[in-house]
Amino acid sequence: MLRLVSILATLLIARVCFAEGPTVASDSFPYRPGGPILLDAGLVLGFPTALPTGLSRGVGAGVTFGDCPLRWGARAAWVTATEGTQIWTVTHSDLRARLTGSAQHDAGRGSLGIRLGIGGTLVHETRTRNQGARAGRTGSELETSALAMVPASDLEAVVGLHLLGPWLLTISGGPSFAVVDGSLHSSWTAELGVAWQP
Amino acid sequence: MIRIATLAAISGSLLGCDSLVGFGGDATPLVTIQVQTTGDFEAVRSPLGTNPDLQVAVVWGTQWLPEALCFLPPESPEVAAAVVQGCRNPLSFTPTNVTSGGPITPGIPTDISLLELPAADLLFGDVTARVAYASLVIYDDRDHSGTLELARARRQPTRGFDPEEDAATNDVVYGASFLAMTEPDTRLAYREGAFIETGYFPRHGCGVPLPAFSILTAGGFSIAAAVIATQNGMLPSQDPATCSEHKPEDTLVSIPLRPTAEVREVGCEQRRTDSSVRYREPPETSPDLTTHSYACAKIPSLSGDSSANSQIQLIVATNADETCKGITHYTLLGCDEGKLMCDSPEWDYRATPPDWWPCPVQAVR
Repeated sequence: MLRLVSILATLLIARVCFAEGPTVASDSFPYRPGGPILLDAGLVLGFPTALPTGLSRGVGAGVTFGDCPLRWGARAAWVTATEGTQIWTVTHSDLRARLTGSAQHDAGRGSLGIRLGIGGTLVHETRTRNQGARAGRTGSELETSALAMVPASDLEAVVGLHLLGPWLLTISGGPSFAVVDGSLHSSWTAELGVAWQP
Repeated sequence: MIRIATLAAISGSLLGCDSLVGFGGDATPLVTIQVQTTGDFEAVRSPLGTNPDLQVAVVWGTQWLPEALCFLPPESPEVAAAVVQGCRNPLSFTPTNVTSGGPITPGIPTDISLLELPAADLLFGDVTARVAYASLVIYDDRDHSGTLELARARRQPTRGFDPEEDAATNDVVYGASFLAMTEPDTRLAYREGAFIETGYFPRHGCGVPLPAFSILTAGGFSIAAAVIATQNGMLPSQDPATCSEHKPEDTLVSIPLRPTAEVREVGCEQRRTDSSVRYREPPETSPDLTTHSYACAKIPSLSGDSSANSQIQLIVATNADETCKGITHYTLLGCDEGKLMCDSPEWDYRATPPDWWPCPVQAVR
């Protein structure tokens, strides 16, 4: 009986302690609202600009100027995708360059915005003839490459979250469009990264 | 800022103005072979072919062992006659896979391209040293399928088994660069890694195939030379003066046009490549023994064969005008999958043989 009373008392004390609540996160991780310049970089995923299938992976970075709500900036990303058929193994490396304009709303630690990027994507294509090396093919009979600049545009939703000091976690994503050989290619792009806003 | 963007766009456009192809475009050939027929097509043309659609096909070969009945000394003149009718040249090129080809006009050089390598099951050797050989076959594509359909020898009717597909084909073969090792041949070779000489269409005495694709020639050897070499544990030798090894792009392969009766066996695939025989259950009614060569024969056995069988079989050969040579084997006692020895036979007519059975009947023990 004495043991049971002891256990119940322990539980009650624990509940009381729990009811006092946790320390507020903002107190533990103070952040600065930051200035008009924001630098960010992260991992980029998306659909290849000119390949009909595949998943491009790479890195991206950008800079944003201005105060809320309207901002402008520039972004660049390099992504690559390799896909194959029975005949070809094709690698597309996309270098995306965009001028951006964004509308953003800050709320506490977070910010939510929409970003429009317009520019071009430099696509480097490498095509390797499958089985060509085994068949003794060399040179252009084995591998060809091409470089093409295509006009492109992205429309992304952007979410930022102040973590600590000037550092933010950023997530963005949305549809992407490019004009390849005279036809409009639609795709998507997404980025997960960190930002620095001094 | 707008100026910078404009400059960047212009310089980027100038930097990359190639056309992106992606997965499209024509497939680059892995090898291109130049082929030309020699001889007068009209002189060898089959009377059945009204509108010939001459094509050339790349036909990969496989190792094949003839059944013992076809190379052992025949026990009777009837067996000898059936062997002549139903057994192909034991050193024949044996096709197994047709990969590519294209139309060809007699006497005019034609390029044919291979877009894929021979599959692993067509290569002989291990991954460090393997090789495949192909014959370039000229044929009339009667069904206009664009490919050579390999035929099989027709079997006589049987009882018990599911009917076999005899793979009849209308295509008519008029020539091949590699017909048999007993004749001069020109073959397409594909080699990966090192080259180890084996019994797979041997070219003992010739140079080794070049890496990847090459065109090889050899003068051939006689069956007697092959037998002697085999008895001595060696490969039969080619005359080195008849040998050559060239890159495909440096060679024009000449294929003489011949009457189809001389060359059609190159379009016949074999049901079994290990010399084994499928013995069949005699049908209720007699197979056509009036127009086919047939004989009663012992079950052949090779020295050292522990599974010797004392049964008498009926062998029925294919007709001379059939596309592919073959022999149908009937026995009064047999097992599933055409074997002769098993615990419980699938059929046993030794006590009640069919009325038409022409061979001696062994007593039931």
